[in-house]
Amino acid sequence: MKTGFSVFLAAFVALGASWFGLVYAPLEQLGRAQQTVILHSTDAWPPQRTGDVTLGLQVYRASGCVACHTMQVRQTGVANEIALTDLKDHPATDFKEFLNSLLIAPPLDACSNVILANLEHWDGKVPVTLYSGDDGAVVAALADKLKPAGVKTATGVLASGSDLARGWGLRQSVAADYLYDQPVQLGNLRAGPDLSLIGVRAPDLNRHLQHLYAPKSLVKDSTMPAFRFLFEVRKKVDGQPSPDALVLPPEFAPAAGLEVVPTAEARHLAAYLVSLQASAPLYEAPFTPVTAAK
Amino acid sequence: MSDDIKSAHASDAEPTATSSSEPLWNVLIVVVIVVTLGLLFFGGVYFDRHGGWFNPKVYPPYTSLDKLEAFQPKSGAEAAAAQGKKVYEAVCGICHGVDGMGKPGQAPPLAGSEWVLAKSVNRLAHIPLAGLAGAVTVEGKEWNMNMAAMGAGLSDADLSAVLTYMRTSWGNKAGEVTADDIKKIRDSMGGHPQPMSGDQLKSMPE
Amino acid sequence: MNQSGNNTAGANEIDTSCRVPLLALFGGAALWLVLGLALGFAAAMSFHAPDLFADCSCLTFGHAQAAANDLLLYGFVLPAALGVVLWIFARLSQAPLALPIVPVVAANLWHLGVLIGTVAILMGDSTGHAWLEYPRESAVLLFAAFLLIAVSAVATMGLRANRDLYPSHWFLFAALLWFAWSYSTANLFLLSAHPPRGVVQAIIGWWFANNMLFVGLALLGIGIAFYFLPKFLGRPLPGADYILFAFLTLVFFGTWCGVPQGAPVPAWLPAVSAFAAMLSLLPVLVVAIVLWKIGRGAGVKCFGGPLCFIKFGILSFLVTGFLYLIGFCPSASRVLDFTWFGFGLSQWQLLGFMGMILLGAIYEILPRIMHRDLPFPKLAQVSYFCFAGGVLVYVLPLMIGGVVQGVKLGDPSVPFADVSAVVLLFFRASSLGQVGLLVGALFLLLNVLVLTVQWKLGLLKLVIAAVKAPLSVPACAPASTSNSAPLSTSGEVKS
Repeated sequence: MKTGFSVFLAAFVALGASWFGLVYAPLEQLGRAQQTVILHSTDAWPPQRTGDVTLGLQVYRASGCVACHTMQVRQTGVANEIALTDLKDHPATDFKEFLNSLLIAPPLDACSNVILANLEHWDGKVPVTLYSGDDGAVVAALADKLKPAGVKTATGVLASGSDLARGWGLRQSVAADYLYDQPVQLGNLRAGPDLSLIGVRAPDLNRHLQHLYAPKSLVKDSTMPAFRFLFEVRKKVDGQPSPDALVLPPEFAPAAGLEVVPTAEARHLAAYLVSLQASAPLYEAPFTPVTAAK
Repeated sequence: MSDDIKSAHASDAEPTATSSSEPLWNVLIVVVIVVTLGLLFFGGVYFDRHGGWFNPKVYPPYTSLDKLEAFQPKSGAEAAAAQGKKVYEAVCGICHGVDGMGKPGQAPPLAGSEWVLAKSVNRLAHIPLAGLAGAVTVEGKEWNMNMAAMGAGLSDADLSAVLTYMRTSWGNKAGEVTADDIKKIRDSMGGHPQPMSGDQLKSMPE
Repeated sequence: MNQSGNNTAGANEIDTSCRVPLLALFGGAALWLVLGLALGFAAAMSFHAPDLFADCSCLTFGHAQAAANDLLLYGFVLPAALGVVLWIFARLSQAPLALPIVPVVAANLWHLGVLIGTVAILMGDSTGHAWLEYPRESAVLLFAAFLLIAVSAVATMGLRANRDLYPSHWFLFAALLWFAWSYSTANLFLLSAHPPRGVVQAIIGWWFANNMLFVGLALLGIGIAFYFLPKFLGRPLPGADYILFAFLTLVFFGTWCGVPQGAPVPAWLPAVSAFAAMLSLLPVLVVAIVLWKIGRGAGVKCFGGPLCFIKFGILSFLVTGFLYLIGFCPSASRVLDFTWFGFGLSQWQLLGFMGMILLGAIYEILPRIMHRDLPFPKLAQVSYFCFAGGVLVYVLPLMIGGVVQGVKLGDPSVPFADVSAVVLLFFRASSLGQVGLLVGALFLLLNVLVLTVQWKLGLLKLVIAAVKAPLSVPACAPASTSNSAPLSTSGEVKS
């Protein structure tokens, strides 16, 4: 590179290209997104937020909760599944024989060894997964053929991944989930658990308030800092606790005659946490809501 | 820093850069270029396989729109429609035709039939449940055949699916029939219903 | 280290022209380094004693860590790097710094911006975007200050008599454009009145973080290292064509990395980043080859001097660059993402790579521009060991703990509480490293402060001497220039 201009040109083109590809292109593709609909329904997604939930997001941002918590769930696999849910008084051996007879004809013969492998160590109890894999036609065919036999089956699409197995989500997070987040707080570190589904795992407002005031009262040896500055410790009025005072275990409760009352910020934050329920199936993240049992 | 002559002491002249000229360097540059081309190729293959070709609906682990389509779960309504079509073609289509146009001398048409399109399904449901005997007028023409109670052996779910399929196919646009509707009608019919005629049907409430 | 005997008059003049701007930049940088490390330590305390800041919202982890990260990047690394860039450009151009008052104004604006931003974060006004937590006012100040410094730097580069560019020119000049464009884009989009909706904000944030922490710092660090290493080792920089290749691959491919695998964005974005990360291994590889070539058989010992800092720093670049890029491989990211590994890696980039290179550069440049030795040279040597040891003890347990955390998180049968408990052990070890870092940073601050005070005292002495000196009234004879000895006003004090 002989001249400053050529250096500038190379740098300009390089950064310009990535600006186009990683800033402008996603802006065009995703920046004007509107609400989408939940799969097989006309309900809009994501749901509009109420005022205290929006304020709670601002408390979340200001407190830097994003430093320890993520709000994105990852999925590593998906499968079409069929499970046997009710033998309806047929003996298990009869069922196995019947199933063997079905597995001779196409399209089930291609997957017969997979299906038989699933039943190899079957103890006769239901529910049991008959097939879990890519082929939706196999699932439909098996469901069809088993129906006249008088047994009950359940079919569905199941999302899988270690995050989902931990109960942190029912399917992966997608762009549509963050439409109304301002700012989007995806998070980078899981010093604490993921929060995408915390509103479903812990729907009780008071539990969140107690956790914010004294995390150790709910999770032994928790490393989450206590957020006591979001609460007010004040004298009980006439010795009676007010309705929104926290109910705390004795080691964490304040001295006698005092009560812990959440400030407005704490209440907004708790409302926001309870609203985090990314549980609806979407076209781009499908799953059957009541999934086939394992 | 220390007085040792061998310690690092930045010279005062400005540094210069030289191009390499040893044979080892020339070999290395070939290696580097080959590695670059290899990485470009494998990267391209990787993007083709995992990139979803810029489709905004394709998220990992899905690698293409087709894969995403393959895993869309069937909804209740879709499953019922598929079921209705299957049962119709197995049970009713032999006489009434797969296209619902009926067969002269065999069975009246269902497409456009006022019996099929009626708002309430009471009269319609009695036909497969009880059978028909005697004259019945369909779309201005009179049909005088016998129809067995073809729906008597079907489950509530299947019969409701078939009737829904009839009411929503071949240009017909009418509401769906639920399994509960069929159950109620079946219960109201009693034990061994006799085949009905068109006049008898017309005398029933809508 | 007394340079006066060997310097040409030109080098003296160049160094002197840089004195005030660089002192302004380096002084603030040293202060922010100490503050940033202290806040980082306070943040780590949250894990050892979670209820410590329960009643004080400013120092709780979310506030303190965000403020510490930004102080390290915007308070220490960037101003120090820009100061070194100004000096390198002046030296390479063999001309005094152009427009020297401009960087002085800029440095003050910059430090004001950092102060406002830090207070805002601690008070709860953080924007919520990683590495962009400073509010609008602060961002505007930083950008304006940056533009001013860039103007001076480019003007200085334009003054060069020898029109050929040295490889450091490419890297450092590109770094100026890099920071300007990525910082302004990120702030314009994310901090505007109507930011883009949804996950696009995260994409822009990742683009910025990659272009700042990987490409931007790599350009600055490599440029500075490739200037100092030949000077210290007494040999020319080999393989200029290889270095050109490394520069071009770094700017063309490195800038596309950043989007994590498995992110909630359409699949093409992480696929593009993975592709780019593979290709970005090339500049890291080529820089390693060049370093091996220049270091082979050099036989120069450094005893904790500036060369030690720069060697440690550039080797850290190779390690952190490699680890950063393999994190974009889907199977690696499944284990490493969302763990302390990423946090430890970014701290290694800021402190172990850029921090060490900048400290070495500062310790080398300060005596030259002040024309006096460091007040505590032994402390400067000790600070190498404190800082190097501190960095390793700080980041290595975090990264190993992160890998353990990732493996355990991937196993759904391990309860989350157990994962946290195991990681805590590593975390406790890493906090010891923070103590070492803080001590090293204090030694730097001490050196810079005392040097500044000594200089100011020297100036004061001159002023007092000038006031006290008897007025010399020349007799009515024509002033002969060969006899007159004008009072020196450049403040040079020969010890």
